[in-house]
Amino acid sequence: MSTWSPYDMNGGTCVAVAGADYCIVAADTRLSTGFSILTREHTKVVTLSDACVLASAGFEGDRKQLHKVLGMRQQVFAHNHGGKPMSCPAMAQMLSNTLYFKRFFPYYTFNLLGGLDKSGKGAVYTYDAIGSYERTGYACQGSGQALIMPVLDNQLKSASPLLYPPVSSATPLTEAQAVDLVKDCFATAGERDIYTGDAVEIVVINRNGVRRETMPLKLD
Amino acid sequence: MFQTRNEYDRGVNTFSPEGRLFQVEYAMEAIKLGSTAVGICTPEGVVLAVEKRITSPLMVASSVEKIMEIDSHIGAAMSGLTADARTLVEHARVECQNHGFTYNESIPVLSVTQSICDMALRFGETGDDDDDDAGGMSRPFGVALLLAGWDPAEDGEEKTKPALYHTDPSGTFVKYDAKAIGSGADSAQTQLQENFKSDMTLVEAETLALSTLKAVMEEKVTSTNVEIACVAPKYKLYTVEQVEAVLARL
Amino acid sequence: MQPSLPSHHPLLGPDTAILAAQQQSASASFFHNQRTNTAHQDANSNAVLAPASGAMPFTVAPPQAHAPFDAGALAFDAAITNAPPGAPNKHTTYPYVTGTSVLAIKYKDGIMMAADTLGAYGATKRYKSISRIVPAAPTTLVGAGGEISDFQYISKLLTELNDNDVIRDDGVVLKPREVFAYLQRVMYNRRNKFDPLWNSLVVGGVDQATGEAFLGTCSMIGVSYTDSHVATGFGNHLARPLFRNEQRDDMTEQEARALLEKALRVCYYRDKNSINKFVIGTVTKESGMKVSEPFSLSTEWGYDAFVHPTKHALGSW
Repeated sequence: MSTWSPYDMNGGTCVAVAGADYCIVAADTRLSTGFSILTREHTKVVTLSDACVLASAGFEGDRKQLHKVLGMRQQVFAHNHGGKPMSCPAMAQMLSNTLYFKRFFPYYTFNLLGGLDKSGKGAVYTYDAIGSYERTGYACQGSGQALIMPVLDNQLKSASPLLYPPVSSATPLTEAQAVDLVKDCFATAGERDIYTGDAVEIVVINRNGVRRETMPLKLD
Repeated sequence: MFQTRNEYDRGVNTFSPEGRLFQVEYAMEAIKLGSTAVGICTPEGVVLAVEKRITSPLMVASSVEKIMEIDSHIGAAMSGLTADARTLVEHARVECQNHGFTYNESIPVLSVTQSICDMALRFGETGDDDDDDAGGMSRPFGVALLLAGWDPAEDGEEKTKPALYHTDPSGTFVKYDAKAIGSGADSAQTQLQENFKSDMTLVEAETLALSTLKAVMEEKVTSTNVEIACVAPKYKLYTVEQVEAVLARL
Repeated sequence: MQPSLPSHHPLLGPDTAILAAQQQSASASFFHNQRTNTAHQDANSNAVLAPASGAMPFTVAPPQAHAPFDAGALAFDAAITNAPPGAPNKHTTYPYVTGTSVLAIKYKDGIMMAADTLGAYGATKRYKSISRIVPAAPTTLVGAGGEISDFQYISKLLTELNDNDVIRDDGVVLKPREVFAYLQRVMYNRRNKFDPLWNSLVVGGVDQATGEAFLGTCSMIGVSYTDSHVATGFGNHLARPLFRNEQRDDMTEQEARALLEKALRVCYYRDKNSINKFVIGTVTKESGMKVSEPFSLSTEWGYDAFVHPTKHALGSW
């Protein structure tokens, strides 16, 4: 008999794109285990504030716990800081610490944090499971990462993070163009990745707040 | 005010029938014995100035420290039992470092003030060893603080801005444009009220702070018996030369 | 024999606790010598069975002081009963008595949940009248596959949860989604301790206030989701394809029952660890919560492929 594992891989793909004054965070809604689809309508995205959205792929049990923990921390922070929620960069550092503190029994989640920074610019933070993180202009995580990341690299061509003085890595696309690109990315990944499909949930953060839309994907 | 001792003086957390906490009120009295400190908040920054009582010519005046740095963007001036202030400042410093560690941003001045006031009221408690109340105070802190700091811009605001808060032994805090504490507080506050303008420059605020101190101090004001610091937008403690430069303008 | 004192007397300090332990060891050796003197010749060398670590002495002689222990005969239990003092706790690494699939669907009036009543000991059909669908709150049913003893423990937790809600008597009644959220955390927290509750749970019910139906499922490691139809274990492979084709949230009670019976029949034909004795539970806004008496389904085993299983699969088995 195989040994018990505290982990499962439930699949899923997340994409985030930062623009000059908006940020898009998207994830598919399929939940899988092995060759089974558990459900076709399961959100991997949590809205943590008007300027901060998190999407996570990986192990659903850990994802749920992580999203609940961050929601609580956000609430407590607001209580302790005059009712104001954490900024997106603050949440980014806090998420890193949260992951790192479980370094020896990690949250098996692959996270993308998107939102607006204090100056209103789009911000994307990409993580590994134990808290290493980086602010980028766009990112992709999860089971469809290898299929989508090269497309984003090709289409968005953001400035190298090695440039000095630093150049903004935000994409030059308009919000509508970026949403279209994200939709194409998921439709593409869904063709080859069995863990990506059913629907994609797209969350757009801009100065007007947080807007959510969904687009159906193939069910196969 | 407190001519007679009575049974409500004993427990630090016992209300008198009139609804007073005598020990807390006595702690406020301790501040009225303290050296005068003033803080002035201007759009360019916050100025803190304190009187140092140099009681003997043999004292090394620079070892008397009444303005302390809490974080690179927050400073505190104190009046009362300055030894008590060290506990509060230490607590505030840890709070600032924790905030920076967790959120990678400087802590809002309001949050530090809150945290200090939370601690100010935590006297008379017994905590378990693993509690952060452990080793807490058995009596109220006999000190008032003026916290000068610089806050990030709020949502929808263009500019970051300075802030000045006053805390007292009851754990109450209030935001001020200008505030004086200590033995000369009453007349100093009147003077600040008459001379404060909301569009003052930092230089004007330095001058007002020192001239206010000068008016209430028994000793002649010199570069050794006053301390000045500002937050604009970083905390800086003035050197003797810088203090003398301000003195020269009086 | 003198009565033994508890080693950690709640009213005595640490010093008296040690004293109590000494008294206890004295009485233990007295008892031990009496018994072993008649039974074993070498018992005198065995005055006090104190572990070398200095921990509490045994009050009963461990097995190795008696006849040589036959490890082969009882290897199954040896790992647990013969664990040396101080050995790490052994947690569940596989289940003993198990229940198989739980199936559930939403329909027009609420939810309908079905399971058989078998508690299997490995491949043995050991217990045939086990309740695997139980009420958890006024309009919430919980069904379980997996280790039956763990589910009985979960049932106890749910009873306590509901009792506390009843005692509070604030007119706010535990909802299915709240029971679900609670069970998710219970399952996940146990997996975090590497001591899982070996179950797949199904939570179904209706919100009394809104009449909204709720259906969710949670695995032993905390993988959970809600859907219009759920099934655990084999049911996920055998029943859910049927549900995907035929389940609708607005189907009638008769249609829902027919669909569940169809799915149960498929599961029974194909799942070796199932029996033809089922219960169906329903929760509706109008008529509340019911779990049926056990019933059987008509079956037909005379199909040619069942009677001659190798006829169309020559050369394999």
